[in-house]
Amino acid sequence: MIEELRNKAKELLESGELDVVIGYADGSDSARTTPIFVRNPEDVEKLVVDGRCVNSLPLFLNKRHEYPRKGWKKTGIVGKGCDIRAITQLIAENQLRRDEVYIFGFPCDGVVSHPNNWDGSLNDGNIASKCSDCDVKIPTDADFYPGGTLPDADRSGPYQITAPQVLNLMEMEHSDRFAFWRDSFDRCFKCYACREVCPHCSCNICITDRTQPNWLDQAAHKKGVFAWHMTRAMHLVGRCTGCGECTRACPVDIQVDAFNQHMKDVIQGSFDYKSGYSEEEKPPLITFKVDDREDFIR
Amino acid sequence: MSKKIERHDFEPRIIGFVCKWCTYSGADLAGTSRMDYSPNVRMVRLPCSGRIDQQFLIKAFEQGVDGVIVSGCHPGDCHYNEGNYYARRRNLAFRQLLEFNGIDLRRMEFSWISAAEAIKWTQVIDEFTNRVRELGPHDEYGDMLDPYAERLLKVEGSA
Repeated sequence: MIEELRNKAKELLESGELDVVIGYADGSDSARTTPIFVRNPEDVEKLVVDGRCVNSLPLFLNKRHEYPRKGWKKTGIVGKGCDIRAITQLIAENQLRRDEVYIFGFPCDGVVSHPNNWDGSLNDGNIASKCSDCDVKIPTDADFYPGGTLPDADRSGPYQITAPQVLNLMEMEHSDRFAFWRDSFDRCFKCYACREVCPHCSCNICITDRTQPNWLDQAAHKKGVFAWHMTRAMHLVGRCTGCGECTRACPVDIQVDAFNQHMKDVIQGSFDYKSGYSEEEKPPLITFKVDDREDFIR
Repeated sequence: MSKKIERHDFEPRIIGFVCKWCTYSGADLAGTSRMDYSPNVRMVRLPCSGRIDQQFLIKAFEQGVDGVIVSGCHPGDCHYNEGNYYARRRNLAFRQLLEFNGIDLRRMEFSWISAAEAIKWTQVIDEFTNRVRELGPHDEYGDMLDPYAERLLKVEGSA
């Protein structure tokens, strides 16, 4: 599988059709992989694809980053099913044109929840929670797929609540839930890793970096942290494709993506929208229907 | 014919984000018609309920208000044709987010009130004020202090 992918990448780089291939390479230790930008055809040997490939590479395709502006006409990108979902969402949000990317898809059996849990193979103990109910193990879209054409897969079902902690939280009393978040957010020191790692945070200047008007307190005290996480979750409503990178990147282990998981269910239940499956459909908060739900309004 | 004034131990602070074409005019009508309603609500007049950013609501809770009311034109009546439809979707999402954060949803009200519905406005405000009064002060969010401020307070207190 990987040989096939490397050969194709080499062929396309040599012919000049692709300027760069963004993929995964072995990282600083045997449990890690690191994103790699392959520009030299010989370097395709460094590409790897396995259960350690946790990073969400479409992050680099977002216009917020420098990379799309380097003058590369066409970028190749190696993506898991969930990454390709993120690419589709970027296209739906006009961050990217479909003809600007060449997608190397591969069948994915899931990834490890955190490099620290990697013990040489993928098993029930260390698989990421997002992978348990994944319906894009065979990607939705790819220009290259090992073995030729993309097989069809049934994706008609609803998103599953992939994070059990969301369910547990929703069963609590609201005061307990508030206490849970207060204790979690007590640890947050606003490194903004959750923002930096998100493929869908597109603002050139984030609202929290704007000081006039100062909507969000930059100091890392609890009030400002609450406001930041609420704002972040609200900005991702109906856009988050559930890659779970925010939680993985969090250095103090806050379940940041629980918000997004919950909002995903809300959006699915209220507007029947699944982000990352269509390039044409608009995200739900920038459009409306006259007969939307309004049972919460008096 | 004036209502008997009741005194309470706790008067909630309520902030209302209202659309200037419908709800603000409705409240204005309530005023010019000399209707009685709870004086606890402070209104912020905005061009449209679609102008209401979630930042306003987050900031309001952060500043320690006890209840937030959001109100605009009925669907189909928007001065800008479709602003309130966006507001409706956004508020649906925001309410769920608040709930997930553990903030009591009874502290947040969304209603459609047209410029002619002064009576509805007084009813909504009275009911909401009573509800929030029963819930008591919203201090779990509002009283969260920044540790540095807390220390400063301690230092000042001891001096």
